[in-house]
Amino acid sequence: MELTLIAKSRMLVMRIYGEIDHHTAGEIRKRIEREIKRTGAVNIAFDFGRVTFMDSSGIGMILGRYKTVQALGGYIVIYDASEQIIRLLEMAGLKNMIILSDSLQHGINEINKMNGVRI
Amino acid sequence: MNNYMKISFPAKSENERLARTVCAAFVIGLDPTVEELTEIKTAISEAVTNAIIHAYDNESGMIEITAGIEENEVTYIIEDEGCGIEDVEKAKEPLFSGSGDSERSGMGFSIMEAFMDELHVESVVRSGTKIIMKKRITVNEK
Repeated sequence: MELTLIAKSRMLVMRIYGEIDHHTAGEIRKRIEREIKRTGAVNIAFDFGRVTFMDSSGIGMILGRYKTVQALGGYIVIYDASEQIIRLLEMAGLKNMIILSDSLQHGINEINKMNGVRI
Repeated sequence: MNNYMKISFPAKSENERLARTVCAAFVIGLDPTVEELTEIKTAISEAVTNAIIHAYDNESGMIEITAGIEENEVTYIIEDEGCGIEDVEKAKEPLFSGSGDSERSGMGFSIMEAFMDELHVESVVRSGTKIIMKKRITVNEK
């Protein structure tokens, strides 16, 4: 996984490679929580373009991070996710809690809209 | 094409990937769609993760998977010798999580039910759990 900070959007961008399951979800959680504390970011964007598999452990990991950013007044963006992953997010009812977008920029635009920032 | 297999492995999280990959590879001969393969992988991953987290509570133990193909139907039986499930119906309710860990979504059984054609759960407290799942693979008409 790769983490990048977009300071002006107070956003951590996390690019995840490979499979998200119970085995890998814990490490992803630890790294994000550490970086949120370290950088003061309030938004998280997940780049799912290179995620080849996800099960309900991934849903649990996203729900946990949703709670983290909600407490900070921030948002979760998920972009470039496969059909299968979108189906799982829908089943979990997560679609109404997160910003599902096709690109990072669209996700940032949505957050700006919700924060009432002129774009 | 009728076939069968049996694998057993220790209940360690790194074996979740092994289990779902082997179970998906087992049906390749039926020429499944990518979607069907993903559904099988996801359902197996849920069953095996349940055994690791709940049945053995992350302690050591073995998980056994038996699989069989008859015509275009595949059956997977995932068995553990862990603590068992007291109330199977309750465990199957969406969003119910028997784990105190807030990172668990409680969606495991809902996913198994949605992605497979049949799901049966047999469990005996302090003896173990057996999850039986069946899926019919679409036959390609050529």
